[in-house]
Amino acid sequence: MRIAQLLAVPRPRLICTALLVASLMEMAGCGAPGNGANDGAATLIVGRGGEAESLDPIHIETGEAVKVVVNLYDTLVAYDEETIDLVPGLAREWETSDDGLRWTFHLREGVRFHDGTPLDADAVVFSFNRLIVDDNPHAHSGIMPYAPAYDVIEAVRAVDPLTVEFTLKNPSAVFLANLAMFSAGIVSPTAVEQEGADFATHPVGSGPFRFVRWTRDQELILAANEDYWDAPPGVDRLIFIPVIESAVRVAQLRRGEIHIADNLPPAEVNVLADDADIAVQTTPGMNLAYLAIQNERPPLDNVKLRRAIAHAIDKKALIDVAYDGSAQPAVNPLPMTMWSWDDSISDRPYDVERARELVEEAAAESGFALPLDLSLYVMASPRPYMQQPMETAVFIKEALKPIGINVRIVTNEIGQHFQRLGRGEYDLGLAGWSTDNCDPDNFLYQLLDEDNINDLGGNNNCRYRSAAVHERLLAAQQELDRDRREQLYREAQELIFADAPMVPLVHSDVRLALRGDVKGFHLHPTALFRLRRAELARPTP
Amino acid sequence: MTRFLAWRLAVCIPTTLVALSIAFIGIRLIPNNPILARFGQHAVPQQVQAEMIRHGWDRPLYEQLGGFVKDLVLRGDLGESFFHNESVTDGLARVFPATVELTLAALVIALPLGIVSGIVAAVWKDRWPDRLCMAGSLVGISVPVFFIGICLIYALPNMPTGRRLPPGVFYDRSTEFVLFESLLRGQWHVVALAVKHLCLPAIALSTIPAAMVARVARSAMLEVLNADYIRTAWAKGNPRWRVVLCHALPNAAIPIVEISGLQTGQLLAGAVLTETVFSWPGLGQYLVHAVQQSDYNVVQGTTLLIAALFVLVNLTIDLLHCGLDPRFAERGVANAANRV
Repeated sequence: MRIAQLLAVPRPRLICTALLVASLMEMAGCGAPGNGANDGAATLIVGRGGEAESLDPIHIETGEAVKVVVNLYDTLVAYDEETIDLVPGLAREWETSDDGLRWTFHLREGVRFHDGTPLDADAVVFSFNRLIVDDNPHAHSGIMPYAPAYDVIEAVRAVDPLTVEFTLKNPSAVFLANLAMFSAGIVSPTAVEQEGADFATHPVGSGPFRFVRWTRDQELILAANEDYWDAPPGVDRLIFIPVIESAVRVAQLRRGEIHIADNLPPAEVNVLADDADIAVQTTPGMNLAYLAIQNERPPLDNVKLRRAIAHAIDKKALIDVAYDGSAQPAVNPLPMTMWSWDDSISDRPYDVERARELVEEAAAESGFALPLDLSLYVMASPRPYMQQPMETAVFIKEALKPIGINVRIVTNEIGQHFQRLGRGEYDLGLAGWSTDNCDPDNFLYQLLDEDNINDLGGNNNCRYRSAAVHERLLAAQQELDRDRREQLYREAQELIFADAPMVPLVHSDVRLALRGDVKGFHLHPTALFRLRRAELARPTP
Repeated sequence: MTRFLAWRLAVCIPTTLVALSIAFIGIRLIPNNPILARFGQHAVPQQVQAEMIRHGWDRPLYEQLGGFVKDLVLRGDLGESFFHNESVTDGLARVFPATVELTLAALVIALPLGIVSGIVAAVWKDRWPDRLCMAGSLVGISVPVFFIGICLIYALPNMPTGRRLPPGVFYDRSTEFVLFESLLRGQWHVVALAVKHLCLPAIALSTIPAAMVARVARSAMLEVLNADYIRTAWAKGNPRWRVVLCHALPNAAIPIVEISGLQTGQLLAGAVLTETVFSWPGLGQYLVHAVQQSDYNVVQGTTLLIAALFVLVNLTIDLLHCGLDPRFAERGVANAANRV
């Protein structure tokens, strides 16, 4: 009988088949929930709410794809396991020229891709050229969401097999941080050339796990890369399965059908936290949920009205209502855990009286009648920074009623929601951002710089224009001295606070539930899903 | 009969094309730019512009529709999914077998259950078997499938929570018909696993069709049981089972066949809620995700398949109808036209 064979782990096929047959029989017969193919290989199963769109690092955008890709590819520089400090990755060291325009990276010796080809300077040049060279035949789609992060690169060249030199168009303070992003993962040139567009579903990198098989919407299997240049992974195999319904993810986690579940509604995580077999990990999120205000639309162009809205929202109560207590009130657009967060700014207190006065002053100045009717746009599905969008919207609607603002809630599918926000077709809107590269620029410039007002996808949804802020944000991008950069960002935050172009609502905690037998895995501050250190303490319950 | 069949076949193609055109235009009327949706919160305006032009989505609707139909007719090409790196044909070949197996499993439960309880309810009208069956069917119709699904998962902790197979099981196969193919190949362990995984979703999915069939079967049987010829059959001293099964049931069969056919068509079009609760990778989820992302080609290709399936199911019902009641074909074209 031709029965199953697991291709995942390199070991004699006969044994593998025999073990699998045994495990299949056991599962078919006894009915106890099993942890998948129970062939003796330590298999970690991750249940998640969605599916990746591609596994080619330059063409992906969603968190579900990033979760997989960070385990498949290495980057030249990497984030530290516990902190957001940059540490050597594939590059063991690097230096910068005095003008900040030339960066030289020295690669580790003897690193190989999963297909056995060497990871050398040519491979690095090949990988970056896919991002920066227009119409590169090895970039298989015109969709490269993170390519703008590498626009600053003028050229990349291989000096010798283990040395790569980047030439920049201008000095850039975020260049190094962007090299640590998943989009700068180094791909195997041989595989890219061989697979063509199919590289997206047959990825080859040099990371701690290698790709085995992907049946879309069913399972995505990775196996340990035993030849990894750093310590090899703690589990033999990694399986990502999409379990769309969060209540089912919870049930599966309780039964031990999956080991890790993320993106769970806050109330369910609180229930799981009481389960002795399950551990909940929490980290303050490097994210921001905010109430976007369309600054170009009268009467919202009146700063008093915007400040009034800020005074009317009780962020602590919002956290209880919509985040089940697991979030921090936001004062600035920057997460509190990000360097250069301005601690000298104290938030506008929750004060309905003051808010009401400000609204009346604004009404007199701008000539509008009270109550004022405004639309509030809300996304139909949750985001990591906004786990219960509808509850948040209703809370804001109720909060604004006493100050004379009648809110009409408008719900849109997530894609449509952000498109309409980007085009400025709203008065108030729920939005947010999660960090890409742990740099303040990634929040302030993306969300509040006039360069990012664009109908075809700018992230300055508030359409906030301030010459003073723009000047500081641009200067900070090119300033290599960290203290001077911090000063610029502090000044920008003060200007932004005064103008109140948005109401920063909360920084949501990132939480993840896992079986107690999963050891060694710690949620990274950026919620990166690097599973190399995860281990399974056996026997599994 | 031949004329009727010819007319029915002739109507199939325009019906399918009209459904396709409605989907084609409808998905483009939703103010959701597929390229911006693909970029999420990291859109790059220049790339967005270039992609719009590359896909021809900046051109007038009739040109786009013409191009799609041309590719479809000349090359049988449904295009590429914009979100996934695969052709729509491959995508359908991946998800449709899952839907077919789930549908058939649900029907295996729903049809016998529905027909038997309908007959029982009719025979013991207004007595406790009738009340029980009709109460059951009321529950089946009114309780949402996702609720039944989650209840089943919690009530039967030893059964797998959906999926087609446990994670990590891989075996020799060439199609996604996990159950059928393993049956044909004699891979009995896979068969056992597949059946076990199919149980809960099939039970959840069968509730509505079973309830619908039961209600229709009951009223059809009641109508027939009141007919004169049945009274004659009773009068001749036939045993009860013989009157019900041999005299009444064949004449009550037509509405039962029709409702069963329509339910089959609906199940084949995908069962989004059941698929969501049980992580079942079927047609329903494939289509819903495509609509959410405005993945034009997937929406078009899937609609085409569903429309064609419905047309085929309707055709089959009509043929069965002809078999059960030869007068139907003679009443002919006008009648058939009403049904389309």
